[in-house]
Amino acid sequence: MVGAAFGFVLGWARVTDHDVIRNMLLLREPDVFLIMMSAIATAALGVRALRALKARAIVDDSPVNWKVEPPAKRHIGGSVLFGLGWSIAATCPGPVAAQLGRGQFAGLWTVRRPFDRNTRVRPPAHTEHGSRGTEVRRHHRRRIVRFR
Amino acid sequence: MDALTLRAPWFIAGPLIGLIVTLLLWVTNKPLGALGGYIELTGWTRGRPGPGWRIYFTLGIVAGGLLSALAGDGWTATFAYGSFDQLFGTSLLVKAVVLAAAGALMGAGGRLAGGCTSGHGVCGMSFGSPASLVSTVTFIATAIGAAHVIAWLLGRGV
Repeated sequence: MVGAAFGFVLGWARVTDHDVIRNMLLLREPDVFLIMMSAIATAALGVRALRALKARAIVDDSPVNWKVEPPAKRHIGGSVLFGLGWSIAATCPGPVAAQLGRGQFAGLWTVRRPFDRNTRVRPPAHTEHGSRGTEVRRHHRRRIVRFR
Repeated sequence: MDALTLRAPWFIAGPLIGLIVTLLLWVTNKPLGALGGYIELTGWTRGRPGPGWRIYFTLGIVAGGLLSALAGDGWTATFAYGSFDQLFGTSLLVKAVVLAAAGALMGAGGRLAGGCTSGHGVCGMSFGSPASLVSTVTFIATAIGAAHVIAWLLGRGV
């Protein structure tokens, strides 16, 4: 349910559109940065309010809290790779799922790679592209059909 | 319903996303992240226990996208991908290869960094995590730089 709400807002704000993200990255319009910043500000207040009120999680009654991590090299290395992919596809893991729901099937191909690769920590060798494309693509198409 | 056919302005979409982060933390006591669902799904298909809540969350995003299309302009299936088509051409094969490569970079990078735009960029930042700040600055800077390089290389006035 919460995921659906997230997907709805992503679709509504059109961050599922290639051009919207591209205009953001080319610094043509500030909207997506403003979305991120206002989301951060709202969430920062919201989660601190929950913690201050000693709220308990609805599913398992654990006290609401979170962990923070110190920065490490992997955050920089991983984020450089992520940023490159982001700039090419002009979408990222959240919006791409919302794209599928919106019928923007170009997202199918963008989705495919994280599925294949994510269990490995090392970046993939690029020579392996395309070998299993058709099969996985059909798999996704079936998955989508269920949502129609 | 008119408001739903238009693009939501940032001062509505942003705070709503912030409230969703808050709500998810309240319900599950877990940080929001879109990438986790893909990671869990890969693990699940390889015999790990599942499906966990992150898969449902990511499927929820798909459903939410569907709802937003139904509530807005209506749902149409398309492979068209905006100015991407002008940059890289409309060939489905090229699109598949380029987007799959981009997806691979994001998958590997996001996994390595432990978060994506929603995980580090919005959720981790709101928690005040130093790792998220470093990650977010890095991927936004990289993406802005790379987008300009792509526009310069493939520009064609798009």
